[in-house]
Amino acid sequence: MERTFELRVNGRIHAITADPATPLLYILRNDLALNGPKFGCGLGECGACTVLIEGMAARACVIPVSGAAGREVTTLEGLGGARSLHPVQQAFIDEQAAQCGYCVNGMIMTAKAFLDRIAHPSEAQIRDALRYNLCRCGTHVEILRAVQRAARLLDMADAGAEPTEAER
Amino acid sequence: MSPIPSLAGMTPADLLEAEDVLVIWRPRPLPDGGEGAPEIFLALSAGGEVVAFHGHVDLGTGIRTALAQIAAEELDVAFGRLRMVLGHSDRTPDQGPTIASATIQVTADPLRRASAQARQALVALAGEWLGLPVEALMVEDGVVRGGDGANQRVSYADLLVGRRLYLRLADRVPVKAVDDYKVVGTSVPRIDIPAKVTGGLTFVHDLRIAGMAHGRVVLPPYAGIDSGPFVGTSLIGADPSSIAHIPGILGVVVQGDFVGVVAEREENAVRGAAELRVEWKPVPRLTGLDDLAGAIRANPATSRRLLDKGNVDRALAEAAVSVSRSYVWPYQMHASIGPSCSVADLRDGRLTVWSGTQNPLWLRRDLALLMDLPEEAVVVERLEAAGCYGRNCADDVGGYAALLSRAVGRPVRVQLSREQEHEWEPKGSAQVMDVRGGLDGEGRVAAYDFETRYPSNGAPMLALLLTGVVAPVPEVLQMGDRTSIAPYDYANMRVVVHDMPPIVRASWIRGVSALPNSFAHDSFIDEMAAEAGVDPVAFRLRHLDDARAVDLIHQVAERAGWQPHVTFGTHGGEGDVRHGRGFAYAVYVHSRFPGFPAAWSAWVADVDVNLSTGEVAVTKVTVGQDSGLMINPDGVRHQIEGNVIQSTSRVLKEQVTFDEGRVVDREWGGYPILTFPEVPAIQVVTPPRREEPSRGAGESASVPSAAAIANAIYDATGVRFREPPFTPERVRAELARHGLGAAEPPSLPAPARRRLGWWRALTAAVSGALGVVTLAMPLRGAIDLVERPDPSLWSPATIERGRILAAAGDCVVCHTGADGPPYAGGRPLETPFGVIHSGNITPDVETGIGGWSFTAFERAMRQGIGRDGRHLYPAFPYTAYARINDADMQALYAYLMSLAPVHAPVPGNSLAFPFNLRPLLAGWNALFHRPAQFRPDPVRSAEWNRGAYLVEGLGHCGACHTPRNLLGAEKEGASKFAGAMVDGWEAPPLLAATHAPQSWTAEDLYDYLRSGFSPRHGVAAGPMAPVVAELSHLPDADIRAMAIYLASLTTPSGITPANGPPAASLVATALLAGPASRLFEGACAACHHDGGGSRLFGVMPSLANNSNLHSTRPDNLIQVILRGIQSPARGELGYMPGYEGSLTDAQIADLVGYLRARFAPSKPAWTGIEETLARLRAAPPAPNARLTVTKINSR
Repeated sequence: MERTFELRVNGRIHAITADPATPLLYILRNDLALNGPKFGCGLGECGACTVLIEGMAARACVIPVSGAAGREVTTLEGLGGARSLHPVQQAFIDEQAAQCGYCVNGMIMTAKAFLDRIAHPSEAQIRDALRYNLCRCGTHVEILRAVQRAARLLDMADAGAEPTEAER
Repeated sequence: MSPIPSLAGMTPADLLEAEDVLVIWRPRPLPDGGEGAPEIFLALSAGGEVVAFHGHVDLGTGIRTALAQIAAEELDVAFGRLRMVLGHSDRTPDQGPTIASATIQVTADPLRRASAQARQALVALAGEWLGLPVEALMVEDGVVRGGDGANQRVSYADLLVGRRLYLRLADRVPVKAVDDYKVVGTSVPRIDIPAKVTGGLTFVHDLRIAGMAHGRVVLPPYAGIDSGPFVGTSLIGADPSSIAHIPGILGVVVQGDFVGVVAEREENAVRGAAELRVEWKPVPRLTGLDDLAGAIRANPATSRRLLDKGNVDRALAEAAVSVSRSYVWPYQMHASIGPSCSVADLRDGRLTVWSGTQNPLWLRRDLALLMDLPEEAVVVERLEAAGCYGRNCADDVGGYAALLSRAVGRPVRVQLSREQEHEWEPKGSAQVMDVRGGLDGEGRVAAYDFETRYPSNGAPMLALLLTGVVAPVPEVLQMGDRTSIAPYDYANMRVVVHDMPPIVRASWIRGVSALPNSFAHDSFIDEMAAEAGVDPVAFRLRHLDDARAVDLIHQVAERAGWQPHVTFGTHGGEGDVRHGRGFAYAVYVHSRFPGFPAAWSAWVADVDVNLSTGEVAVTKVTVGQDSGLMINPDGVRHQIEGNVIQSTSRVLKEQVTFDEGRVVDREWGGYPILTFPEVPAIQVVTPPRREEPSRGAGESASVPSAAAIANAIYDATGVRFREPPFTPERVRAELARHGLGAAEPPSLPAPARRRLGWWRALTAAVSGALGVVTLAMPLRGAIDLVERPDPSLWSPATIERGRILAAAGDCVVCHTGADGPPYAGGRPLETPFGVIHSGNITPDVETGIGGWSFTAFERAMRQGIGRDGRHLYPAFPYTAYARINDADMQALYAYLMSLAPVHAPVPGNSLAFPFNLRPLLAGWNALFHRPAQFRPDPVRSAEWNRGAYLVEGLGHCGACHTPRNLLGAEKEGASKFAGAMVDGWEAPPLLAATHAPQSWTAEDLYDYLRSGFSPRHGVAAGPMAPVVAELSHLPDADIRAMAIYLASLTTPSGITPANGPPAASLVATALLAGPASRLFEGACAACHHDGGGSRLFGVMPSLANNSNLHSTRPDNLIQVILRGIQSPARGELGYMPGYEGSLTDAQIADLVGYLRARFAPSKPAWTGIEETLARLRAAPPAPNARLTVTKINSR
């Protein structure tokens, strides 16, 4: 039975009418026309659908819209756009960390939540943090570099400094 | 914005009529040598547009960028100005499918020539315009300059004003010298990445067009099989009325074995496909694949002798050493991260399909055939999709979308499920390679006799087969010959390929048959090197005269720090771990035999092999690739790294599991791929070869992978492995066969025990007992109806107290039907005696309790007798409610009377005789009911007494947690709170005998009842979840009181281990590494890891602390695996998907056994897992399975 939910996505409030069981992912993609989160498995296994809920990485394919209502949801689009890139997005471009790019939403969103908790991770910590985000193209090497670079960019953003080309 | 339409959106016909343009075209070359319609390679306009057209598509390798670099270079326009149009059935040239690493090596050539030709023409025009000789001109970003100080200039755009230059592509055009390259050969950032990291429209999955509906398909039960008479003929019927209750269903489409559902909203299409009643004929007996090599050898074949050099038979007969070896490759998946998706729009006899296809023109041909349309009426526009690495379901789903669009007359987007993509993607084929060979007296390979069998073809579009448009007779393609000739200079060599049809649906995957063939070639030469007592690298060099191969091998060996060695075991190890290094070399020869070579590649793989667990880790790969001129060096490096990681994954982990010939693996637990922690360090060697023509770089580095890793395992252990994947269980078994490592652990699940039909016996007992008792019991009278009491009779405080009491009693949980209004009843409650429906307890006079006086209400609550005098079934826990004190009873009544009345008649009950005889319940009450109010225990604290009152009374915890006797009454004495089964769920014991690994403290109980989660015990699920949700209405003091009382029931001995939960036995865990541990890792661990992963939304309960894993029965674990947790007590606990449709019984049984062994190592293995699984799977899904709030199974 359909119900109406108030969803807060990327800082805006939307009234959504849907079956409460509808995965949040379908609402974001179909009702809000957001392309960032991707359908990968529907089982929370691969991470392609990752969004942030209250700042925490969340797999939108297994969370019903009813569970997201009333919480702050952030998608890839909410991090930054083409002219206002978030440091993590910038780092992924700098390192060219995408081949087909289908998984990259999940990589960026998971990395963002991870770097918010652990600002200066070791490579082993990054590998662990992304362990349950699957990539089939084998872009892992560039993704690891991108997360390391993102950590540096975030540091500089915190310090209020514009990174130099060399620092990037 | 330019007022003229973009050149990128125009067809060749349009472009060849456009004004103010330069267009390079050629007639499409026809197979018969004739000339077809014009096709366009390049167009420039006076508006400044520069558009290049190429028939291939970007599969995620970055060829859009590389092709644009080539065109921009020759044209001398800034890279960013040039736009590439790829793979469009109407706009781009026919350059064949995007396969075989041929885009840069082969099909970039006409684009390069077209660009050079355009520049030449434009510079000539500029010379006329400027009055300067062409030799005096230079071009920079589309501006031609000349004269003194180069101050005379004209742009390409200006030159095109008023002109229509339609130039036929020349066969020979002077192109730039490599030394003049400014863009080619540099690592220009990829064009597509910014949109991909910001959520731009990139993928076909992201396309939304006006009026678009959503489709899902139901695919047949012969999962993954596409030939045989049953294909397209197995459907008995589909019943659209079975999904009439789902809103927005636009159509159910059936054609042959094709079944699709279209809905306005995607989630309803998903539901429709899941709930549609579809009947299929039984799947006939299929070719079993347990003996993979045997099945392939038995497959009918035609032999082709590709090479017969020297005299193989004589050389073998005379060889000093001669051996025969067989190599077996498994079925593998492309395993795209995004299941295939497509949008189709059929209107006015024209079909447009947006697709992630590899082959827009092939897809157009197939769609025309499927839809009975002329090809001209079909347009295929290619958008990016998740990387496919070969042929996946991208074309299939386009066919489904077209069929559904035709049926509903609207554009339809079809998304395959993960399960469908896994089951139906054409598999990378299994393959068998047989080698006979030997050494001569000089330590060279004397002879090499190679045979290969590759049961695969082009995998016809499935929609064509399902609908019967194309007969399901398998075509034989000659594709087993890729790289079938060993890349070594063997004097006597014979190569035979046995061409054969597929056994299961199969088609090309990265490296096609070349990767398995090379696995055999380079495993065998490694074996010969060991036999000859020669260093593996030196031995190969002895058989190579290709200078670039020799150079590459030297460079790779040097970079890896290769130490020549003539025996295995020189790299040492620690403990159970042995280190090893392996070498392999290949040049990937592809396309129709004899084909042509792509880039050269060589690997040094470093491995760690754990002799006791069988685990193999590839720790480092030094990989070299000679690709000639690299258009984009970073792009090539990324392809090399991608190939290393993907092929390492295939070699270590990947094989499709079949059950009686059908595909089993439907998700990432069953078909795991390499994860971040497993990714080796990769060192890439790319010799600079700017002067040499480009060689295909998209697959080559995969080809040596398997042999290099197998050779490294040999180097570590002295044991040859000839059948990937090198999984722990396979390595363990093989090492054990050679007397190394540990023996196999005993198989996990103990034998099953037969269950008794207990409740049949019970029925007889009950009917006898009740028959006697009821004779002595009078029936009760009705209490008159009253007017509905006015709620204003009670104070708001009383009503509020009643509201909280109703929550404590979970009244709403049972008294609310599926999706129905709260308290209006109608919920079916399954009991061992039949189905009972809960009553409407809103104050509706006719159908609810609006006409019930307090006396009637109280009698029902305390004695289980309805207002009309009929006995209520003890599913209604009046035996507990009898303990409620008078004031609370009044408040409850007040609250219920204050609710809005809902007119909702309740369906009748369906109890089996004798339980349908309500009067018998009077006897039941006489036997088991003690209607006495709660009396506090004066020696206990007020808090304890409050807790006891709530637990024993309103909370009616015993209704679930106390076992019932044969007559359905709660047992007493030691059995009280001893745990019981409730509708397929175990309500665990609340006593000292709880099976929790750590005792329940008052704090644990408080956490659990308050939040639905105790970190030391787990999450409230199943029927307990809505109980906790209701308890949220109670004040903290009440929850704490309940916790204190309940804690007093468990032992106070404080057996909690000081250092947290018992650690899972390391030995057991290691020995268990195998399919079940991979299933856990792939399907469960993202949320249930113990710290080695990301923090995700929800409580991520650790299974090491989960009480259910320590229970005597697996029911709760299996329930949760099947149905997930879709209605947690509180949203912040997180959600879990059900795996009912994603895992087979065998997989779940394996997983359950593994979880028990790993997380409850002190407990015996469960018995009867299969039976429990079958029983719970057969049970109808709980009403809460669809995520409605506060609904549970019957209590």
